[in-house]
Amino acid sequence: MILIACVDDDGGMMFNKRRQSRDSAVTKRIADISAGGVLWVSGYTEELFADLGCSNIRVADDPALCAGPGEFCFLEETSPGEFADRAEKLVIFRWNRRYPSDVKFDIDPDEKETVDGYRWKKESSADFAGTSHEKITEEIYTK
Amino acid sequence: MRMSIKKTAALSVMIVCLLFTGCGTGAGSSVSGSSASAAGSSSASASQDTAAVSSVLQEQQQTSSPSRKTFSLKHIPAFKNKPYVTVNGNDPTFTKKQLTAKAYEHYSPLDSEGRCGTAVASIGKELMPTEKRGSIGSVRPTGWHLVKYDIVEGKYLYNRCHLIGYQLTGENANSRNLITGTRYLNVDGMLPFENMVADYIKETGNHVLYRVTPVFKGENLVASGVHMEAESVEDHGKGISFNIYAYDAQPGVKIDYATGDSHLTGKSAGSSDTGGADKNARGTYIINTNTGKFHKPSCYVLSRTKDKNKKKYKGYRKKLIEEGYEPCKICNP
Repeated sequence: MILIACVDDDGGMMFNKRRQSRDSAVTKRIADISAGGVLWVSGYTEELFADLGCSNIRVADDPALCAGPGEFCFLEETSPGEFADRAEKLVIFRWNRRYPSDVKFDIDPDEKETVDGYRWKKESSADFAGTSHEKITEEIYTK
Repeated sequence: MRMSIKKTAALSVMIVCLLFTGCGTGAGSSVSGSSASAAGSSSASASQDTAAVSSVLQEQQQTSSPSRKTFSLKHIPAFKNKPYVTVNGNDPTFTKKQLTAKAYEHYSPLDSEGRCGTAVASIGKELMPTEKRGSIGSVRPTGWHLVKYDIVEGKYLYNRCHLIGYQLTGENANSRNLITGTRYLNVDGMLPFENMVADYIKETGNHVLYRVTPVFKGENLVASGVHMEAESVEDHGKGISFNIYAYDAQPGVKIDYATGDSHLTGKSAGSSDTGGADKNARGTYIINTNTGKFHKPSCYVLSRTKDKNKKKYKGYRKKLIEEGYEPCKICNP
């Protein structure tokens, strides 16, 4: 599974059952990188892609449980830590802003050695301007 | 540029002001608005907009109104080094009638003690600033003291805190919108919410009804905290919806809210968990010698860290940073 998430400076993802932030440039980027593969999302996340006509989207209540090897999963509502063992790659979009949060991104990709033996290696990091965010950072990690 | 938008909305402002005065809710109230969002709307919807604005403004004067009843300082737990708590299950208490896509902003007149009251706005892009913030140093809110502590980020305990942040309505030195607030309230309590609302509006072009009320106990000159509510209008709260109370407190500092006087507490030195992003606090931290990051002892990232890579540290957070360690972005120690 290629796990995708958006994260703020405090490692937050959601607050009060709502995403912290959104940017159509990020949505487009996710659609682009997952094109040609399968992209698993929840019903809540699906609405972001409504105008993009993505035919590769699959909707499930627990998208991270459904995504198989090599398939993409854009996770918004659930902390991804419990799925870390099944993720072969992380794509993290950093807002470079602080928002309130009550759901956290609980994988520390800088952790080189863990009890489960995960080792994440930063493959790339690139900044781009969003439609409403000055600087968004896309980071890719592999095991 | 923003001012010119406001001027072109003079008619809308006049309607609101007349209506406001007509309700007998206080001469001298500051209301401004923009008709930009209402362009093309029918007279019927314009009438609904005006009723919505009126409803919110009237409510500021009526402590017995249903939504005002839901908040009481009695129900707020004591400050425990967390910048805010949710109120009413995190649901804002606006009525449907109050939610309007007509942009406006209202700042209550200062009370007899010179203290700010509720600030409320239906914020859209048309109210957001197009210029960098100007000086606000000419305003001296009640309880203001220029006091510095080494444990406070930026050293100054107090900031002139905007009730409605500059990035939202572009208000500079408006004495009705500035209170004496701690650095912690400003940066850790209020700013994340302002950021979330500002970015939502920029992305969607929608409006957000936003209300901030400084909460003063008795005749205190410094607010105990601020009650913040917001709800996105066009999508009926689907994008933005919160109801929180942010503490006007600073970890490690004791504040006399009656006067604004303050002193360091000994307690903070022995605190086991600093909480939030109090960047110069003291406490117990767990260093991951493998990653060079330090965490709160309760951080769940540590559950997947090997014990041999964990090192306990008690002392100044600042020292850890000086030694090259980075705070964990997940637990924000």
